[in-house]
Amino acid sequence: MDSSNDEALDIIITNVVATFRTRCHLNLRTIALEGTNVIYKPEGGKVLMKLRKPRITASIWSSGKIICTGATSEDDAKRGARRLARILQKLGFKVRFSAFKVVNVLAVCSMPFAIQLIDFTKKNRPIASYEPELHPAATYRIKHIKATVQVFSTGSITVTGPNVQNVATAVEEIYPLLFEVQRPRCK
Amino acid sequence: MSSRVCKTCGGSDIDVDQARGSAVCTGCGSVLEDNIIVSEVQFVEGSGGVSSAVGQFVSADGPVKAPLLGSGFHTSVGKESRAQTLQGGKRQIQQLGSQLQLNQHCLDTAFNFFKMVVSKHLTRGRKTEHVIAACLYLVCRTEGTPHMLLDLSDLLQVNVYILGKTFLLLARELCINAPAIDPCLYIPRFAHLMEFGMKTHEVSMTALRLVQRMKRDWMHTGRRPSGLCGAALLVAARMHKFRRTVKDVISVVKVCQTTLRKRLTEFEDTPTSQLTIDEFMKVDLEQECDPPSFTAGQHKVKMQQLEHELARKLDEVEGEISCYKDEIETELEKSRPKLRGIYAAYAKEIDPDDVEVSSQASEPEVPEVEDADLQAAAQHLTQNFLCEVIQEEEGRGKKPDDGKQEAGSDTMEAGSDNMGAGPYRQAAPLAVILGKLPIAAGLSLQQTFQTFTESDQGEKPDDEQSESGELDLKDIDDQEIDKYILNDREVEVKTELWMKQNAEYLKEQKEKEERIKKEKEQGTYKEKPKKSKKKKEQIQALTAGEAIERMLEKKKISSKINYDVLRDLNSRGTGGVEGSSPSRETSDPPDTASTTRRRLNRRRRRKTSDANRELATTTSIMGKRVRLLLSSTSKKKKTDVQAENTVTMTTETSSEVTTKLEPDRSSAPSVPTTVVEEEEEEEEVEEECVSALQLVGDYGCEEEDVF
Repeated sequence: MDSSNDEALDIIITNVVATFRTRCHLNLRTIALEGTNVIYKPEGGKVLMKLRKPRITASIWSSGKIICTGATSEDDAKRGARRLARILQKLGFKVRFSAFKVVNVLAVCSMPFAIQLIDFTKKNRPIASYEPELHPAATYRIKHIKATVQVFSTGSITVTGPNVQNVATAVEEIYPLLFEVQRPRCK
Repeated sequence: MSSRVCKTCGGSDIDVDQARGSAVCTGCGSVLEDNIIVSEVQFVEGSGGVSSAVGQFVSADGPVKAPLLGSGFHTSVGKESRAQTLQGGKRQIQQLGSQLQLNQHCLDTAFNFFKMVVSKHLTRGRKTEHVIAACLYLVCRTEGTPHMLLDLSDLLQVNVYILGKTFLLLARELCINAPAIDPCLYIPRFAHLMEFGMKTHEVSMTALRLVQRMKRDWMHTGRRPSGLCGAALLVAARMHKFRRTVKDVISVVKVCQTTLRKRLTEFEDTPTSQLTIDEFMKVDLEQECDPPSFTAGQHKVKMQQLEHELARKLDEVEGEISCYKDEIETELEKSRPKLRGIYAAYAKEIDPDDVEVSSQASEPEVPEVEDADLQAAAQHLTQNFLCEVIQEEEGRGKKPDDGKQEAGSDTMEAGSDNMGAGPYRQAAPLAVILGKLPIAAGLSLQQTFQTFTESDQGEKPDDEQSESGELDLKDIDDQEIDKYILNDREVEVKTELWMKQNAEYLKEQKEKEERIKKEKEQGTYKEKPKKSKKKKEQIQALTAGEAIERMLEKKKISSKINYDVLRDLNSRGTGGVEGSSPSRETSDPPDTASTTRRRLNRRRRRKTSDANRELATTTSIMGKRVRLLLSSTSKKKKTDVQAENTVTMTTETSSEVTTKLEPDRSSAPSVPTTVVEEEEEEEEVEEECVSALQLVGDYGCEEEDVF
């Protein structure tokens, strides 16, 4: 995936979040009573439905807005969303699959070296921030591609972005910065 | 001044005299302007011959007190609001900062930050408290004071992560780069709190050295600095023969026991821990360690690799291993007494079973068991070199490895003694196996990554093929979907269960609906029915009373007031209420209209006698407030109030109340309402005492007895 380096860096996508609309009002009680694998949340006003095949969890609101989380790829998310729409259709609602959008992608990647966080923060001052009291990782926000990278001292990083392509670009962009501040392995 | 043209001669050379305030044409001498508005400073002679400048100083961001003309009304309102915000902010900063013992310079800097924040409209949608705390923490970080975000959150009783979020946002918006926290900053502060007496300085120094050592060993990245300080202080205290338990330390440092123990364990793993106290103070070891989480991760990865390799190899050479098994058993029986402690137990269990165990599904214990087995096998076959290699690699890991090394070295000797010629040949393939293992373990992580990437890529083309362009139904298996929908019988069962489970919620919903229906019929349906009921009561009361009632209601809604506590405090009365701000936050809400009316009647009477007492007490907020009120109303009804006992005061109280309210309303809005409310609270507090006094029918001494 990462062609700019000698070794292949493994970017594993762990979560894809997508939303879509059914363009019709949904009766949550019906869904709660007639669907398997559903949890009704009255305080949030939503129903959680968990699918097995693309392993996703969907939050369904009565306005017809649905958020799908837990997919491992964009295609998976789309398929899961369509399945969900099909289920709702079978339950009797006039569902139309519209406005499908992948909102967030979370990926993890592991560098083969450890990283000196304090040097990293110093070098990239306004863009990177590190608060050990709050979070063990340094946060690096890349504005132009709207991605956030959290860098841990062990060399693992987590990247969140609006789509998979951005995530890959973010990794490519940050790799040289991390390489500079790598910690020389002792022993 | 624009150079104009003279009207008489047309000349443009005009002489403007600032002192005289006239503009004269130099060509023809005609006076063009008289009484020019001059912007020079004028001086006036004051009493005693002191000359002072004429005019008022108007600061850009101060409160605009000078009354403006009607045209300037709008701008004054806008500026006043901003000025008020800044004033309020300044007050809060002073309050919070003094609790943190920050010096005035820091507080001023914090106020400057706050001004910047307000001008950038970052206070919108955020609690002022949070913003102020964030500004203060910014100052702490830039000045390098030993204040933690935890301290601020303790003072405000707010979640530290919420404060952290605000702080990070402000730092980003104001482009302030706060330097990273150094745990060394906290050492003196914590040492002081731990009361080491005369030796505080020495213990601090030792702890500092420890922390610096920890930094070199990469224990501090990604960790809370307070945890490290705690561990360092504990060790330093013990080194200087102070008995400080873990509990003492955690109460000062504010981390939990587990964290502290973990830090201590990690420090124990570093080579520095092996030095004696004197050595440590003098020598600084050159080598540095990897961070503990990194090491743990590497260890895990290596274990997994070893496991993989072993599983593969063992399948191939199962037959040979059974021979080795017998060999090992005999050898171990001979060498068993030499294994120490835990490892004795290990050795007994390990030998016959773990060969099979190792080829089974992976568990976290299995790799360790395998290591022991490997070591035992290797030792018996006297492949010293291999043993050393394996031991080295595993020696980097956690504590048990140290134990293993000791056991290993022992059995090695035994093994070498018991070496026979026979096992050599059979040993050779095993040695080959073992020889390969270190190489496998030494494989770079990239190989594992490559396997993962391959597996990933293998899956992806399949996914893409099954992706279809159609909107619906193509790859969705209808049968499977049907499984997601319950059939009728199941629906009934589920409905029952669900109804039972959510019975309370459903009941609430029904009641709510019924209530709304009723109110709709009555015609008094409002969005929040409860509040409307209260307002009906007010209408029954007197006009002045109604106004006060409304304010009482507003106060009641405040969640910061603990009404129960106030009722309890009544026996102590205003003494408790005056004392401090928390106690001030108690007030007794009126339960019914009648009691409130009675209360109002007694109000005036109570007020002055209490006010007298309060004037005597110092630094009480209530006292000051009441004094304020008192000064405004004293002229009016003071004499009357003192004489009366009966309820006939009603008319007078109402008139007094109205008169009191009027001057309050005339001044700036916020202050008097709070004053009135303070007063009301105070009077409600005296409720019980009032009734007792009424029975007695006397003032002064009786009250003091009660209090």
